[in-house]
Amino acid sequence: MTDFSSRQTRFDWSSRAYQDLIRRRRRSETYLRGAGLASIILAVSFLGLMLAALFSTGYKAFTQTHVTIDVPISAEHVDSADIFGSNWRRVMQDAVAGHFPDLEGRALRAAGEILSNGAQFMVRDRVVEAPEMIGSTLSITVPVSDPFDQLSKGLVDRQTEEANRRVTDAQIAAFDKLAQEGRISAPFNWGMFANVDSRFPELAGLKGAFIGTGYLLLVCFAIALPVGIGAAIYLEEFAPRNRFSDFIEVNINNLAAVPSVVFGLLALSVFLNWFGLPRGAPFVGGLTIALMSLPTIIIATRASLKAVPPSIREAALGVGASRQQVVFHHVLPLAMPGIMTGTILAMANAIGETAPLLLIGMNAFITAAPATPFDSATTLPTQIFIWADSPERGFVSRTSAAILVLLAILVVMNALAIYLRRRFERKW
Amino acid sequence: MPDDQRLMERAVNAERTKIAARGVQVHYGQTHALKDVDVDILDHAVTAFIGPSGCGKSTFLRCLNRMNDTISTCRVTGDIRLDGDDIYDRGIDPVQLRAKVGMVFQKPNPFPKSIYDNVAYGPRIHGLARTKADLDGIVESSLRRAALWNEVKDRLASPGTGLSGGQQQRLCIARAVATSPEVLLMDEPCSALDPIATAQVEELIDELRANFSVVIVTHSMQQAARVSQRTAFFHLGHLVEYGDTTQIFTKPKDPRTESYITGRIG
Repeated sequence: MTDFSSRQTRFDWSSRAYQDLIRRRRRSETYLRGAGLASIILAVSFLGLMLAALFSTGYKAFTQTHVTIDVPISAEHVDSADIFGSNWRRVMQDAVAGHFPDLEGRALRAAGEILSNGAQFMVRDRVVEAPEMIGSTLSITVPVSDPFDQLSKGLVDRQTEEANRRVTDAQIAAFDKLAQEGRISAPFNWGMFANVDSRFPELAGLKGAFIGTGYLLLVCFAIALPVGIGAAIYLEEFAPRNRFSDFIEVNINNLAAVPSVVFGLLALSVFLNWFGLPRGAPFVGGLTIALMSLPTIIIATRASLKAVPPSIREAALGVGASRQQVVFHHVLPLAMPGIMTGTILAMANAIGETAPLLLIGMNAFITAAPATPFDSATTLPTQIFIWADSPERGFVSRTSAAILVLLAILVVMNALAIYLRRRFERKW
Repeated sequence: MPDDQRLMERAVNAERTKIAARGVQVHYGQTHALKDVDVDILDHAVTAFIGPSGCGKSTFLRCLNRMNDTISTCRVTGDIRLDGDDIYDRGIDPVQLRAKVGMVFQKPNPFPKSIYDNVAYGPRIHGLARTKADLDGIVESSLRRAALWNEVKDRLASPGTGLSGGQQQRLCIARAVATSPEVLLMDEPCSALDPIATAQVEELIDELRANFSVVIVTHSMQQAARVSQRTAFFHLGHLVEYGDTTQIFTKPKDPRTESYITGRIG
């Protein structure tokens, strides 16, 4: 006893060796902190780089160049009995001719290319709505076609040799004339959200993809959430611990790591070929993504069920609650914020999923928004895939813009998950 | 003399055996946690289980309302009878048993719900109240029995987890008595409480004796001496000695009991 205490007092805290030890310890701590900081800076700068690249190409797609033209709705071309089927091409030709009185023939037609192909249908729809317009002149703002949108945004180099650019000198002159007259404007590109897909970039929008994604998420949520929570409750609260439940647990974890394209192949062979479900439908996409989300939801739900303190279970059992009552009255409500967080994150993953949807044909060119989950549709990521594959220059910036829209949705969903967690999480 | 005999009978009635355990063995997997325990727990009395940590006293307590069923590796053999009925019989529903044998835990564990809902939960799931007024009555009388009514009557809707530790434990006692159990099991109910709250709970235990048979596990020998009429001393899974509290603390028969209460083992 005395020996021990005397040895304690003899330890020299100011010794050289001890000072060295302290210094080494501090140094390694500084290194660790520096390394952590460096990796965070690296990660953030990569993220910044990606966003910068997307913004720099994408921001231009958020405006669309428009031109305001006067369209004479002459009774000669527009048949008041069949307004819809009238010769709208001729009406537009007249309108262009009215703006360029000194052009003729081929040159006039070239100038007409400034207008989007959709312009005639916009004029048609306006007149169908208000037939009394026939005989008067309609002043309407329509999108310009993609090459002139590029020109207006400065993406076409005017110094390039004429043969090497998509707009001729004469067309540029015609466009500049309209610009001088103050007819060219570049308002916010609402069409990108309100229009469905189109071959013409200036008309293409994400409406179909939004609705397709919405249906897909709805189906996915409706299937994956109850099945996932049910499976997790059974595994966590009721299943006996034996080899069989271990086997299931390992496989659920494995399933979470299966590449998504495999799920696409599965959906193709089972849902489409065997069950005969419609190709490219959000319903099938939702089923597929639900299969993929299940492991994530099960794992998240089990984790939040586990996090409910055993004292709550004991308290409920102690007053004579059955196991089912313990789960549904006490454990599940307490685990719900965690389950919702996990589910939202799984849904956020599901939104960005592309590969399995390509395999079930959700990358088709579809120019109508789906009316039901059983109609063919695209989703945001497959729409991005389609646009990224399109040759028109206008789709380059639109692809980036669509990616930005997708990212914005993901940010909102993740923020919602964080909010739910903060709002409802309990401290024990 | 018939009169005298009747008096005798009444005295026996008051000290009637509530729970009779015979040859109880508990295994946790390979571990033999409780060896051959015989105990008669009396009605309207406080029975204290004392002993060093890991001696099996909590394990035995949890056999009495079959809480050990929730541990998959736990195996209980032997015979435990509540009012003569084998509680490990196939026909006995452990859920019903736990309504009759209430339990208060070591750490106060109110549900993260309102004070009212904490107390009303048991009566609700067992259908003890027909109307809202009935339920209000049960909640009030339970809180009164737990000596908590005056402190919380104006904030029954506020969360039970917002109370102080001692209040939380009394809330748990109110929750346990709300289902009108016949036996109240308490697993170290004061170990997480400060001395003042402990004194309140001890006083409460003494009052509860009027209506229930109370079994309390405690680490504090002073507490056992203060609140109990009967004391059982457990050591290494054996029930070493069981008898009147005064006898155990003044004239222990077993040398191990004497060592423990004088502080030489434990």
